[in-house]
Amino acid sequence: MNKQLTFETHIVKSSIGVYSAVEDQQVDSGILQELGSIGAGHAATALSDILQQEILIDMPTIHRVEPHLLPKIYNRHDIPTTAVYLQLKDKYGCDILLMFELTEAKKIATMMTMASSIEELDQSMEISAIQELANILIGSFLTAISDFVGLQLLPTTPELIVDAFDAILDNFLIKQAMASEKAFVFDTHFKRKGEEAKSIIVIFPSAELQKLLTEKSKELIDV
Amino acid sequence: MLLNFAGHKVNMASIIMPNKITEKQQSGKVALTYQQYEVTPYATIQANTNQKLEEVRVDMAEIKAESKPVELLTSVGSCIAICIHDPVHKCGGLAHIMLPNSAIEPHEPLPGKFADTAVPALVKAIRRISGKESRLSAKIAGGANMFANLNTASLDIGAKNIKAVKAALAAHKIRLAGEDVGGSHGRRITFNIVSGIATVRRFDGEITKL
Repeated sequence: MNKQLTFETHIVKSSIGVYSAVEDQQVDSGILQELGSIGAGHAATALSDILQQEILIDMPTIHRVEPHLLPKIYNRHDIPTTAVYLQLKDKYGCDILLMFELTEAKKIATMMTMASSIEELDQSMEISAIQELANILIGSFLTAISDFVGLQLLPTTPELIVDAFDAILDNFLIKQAMASEKAFVFDTHFKRKGEEAKSIIVIFPSAELQKLLTEKSKELIDV
Repeated sequence: MLLNFAGHKVNMASIIMPNKITEKQQSGKVALTYQQYEVTPYATIQANTNQKLEEVRVDMAEIKAESKPVELLTSVGSCIAICIHDPVHKCGGLAHIMLPNSAIEPHEPLPGKFADTAVPALVKAIRRISGKESRLSAKIAGGANMFANLNTASLDIGAKNIKAVKAALAAHKIRLAGEDVGGSHGRRITFNIVSGIATVRRFDGEITKL
């Protein structure tokens, strides 16, 4: 089977100035974006291995905007979404969301469980397949970053939820809004070749984790 | 809607009437082109007569008050949608709040973001439309706690939001006419400005009319 990983350049079309300007001296968005690209590349390779399909991923983006503007940027409002939520273990405050369109999650689960059709897919099998997928994808994402910066980043057990996109996201945006005026959101979109539905990995790293990752990376660059 | 057309039963939507036949000279041959009538399918006509109101989306931390016959629409999880209706002047508005208290904001707060600032701002906007003081009623939905691992006992923001919204409504002497709050699921709220009915749709299809 021809497995390939292709990067597409991703231009953010938004009037609401999404961007990755280096605002905070201690946090270098460029470095974080680079780390994200490494992680996203590994996650996409893992997905490609599992599904034996070509996966297209967009260049990861960093959004540094007020939290309430994010639903407008994603513009997915009421799309039925299957989301898996993980946190980083230990002291690092970091929320990670893996979001699929509901039908796309069903298709992927069908492939993973070898069910003959979506109708035949057992619901509990579907849930555990998607949770397992999240473990593998996020696991390989974090392992890639861990290896690079020399920190041990481990995810907690995944929690799966199915609801409208905005309703899922707002829980995290509230948490962001409580912490600071601007949210720091890292995301990467990917899809299976020939499919329209894009899935997203959304990561909300805490300010401490952003600083820590930047410092560790700078040490590596300076050497 | 079936019609008898040249001896065949055909669906109304499938009839294409030749409107204009034009002749085009194409490399020495005459080509006939038909300009087609736009035939409106019967189902569409029926839907139009049903008078579906235009839906206007209210984004996160936003306040919208309307006097035009529209349906204000928003989706919430832990956030709360506050719908306030003026039954006399047939107007109303919706606020999509995120947090209970504006005290955490160091700068000038965005009024729609917090329960304590959104309620007075929404009331003011509605009174500006109606031009008169009249009795308002409120309906609220949202305040869910969707992720068990996200919020700890000290940080159930959904519950805090519900409490803060109710306190803010009481402080402005607005009657709470209906609520669908709490739980662990998202809600899609459509608020009919004319009738004052708020329809709450859960993702699993359950519909509650407030």
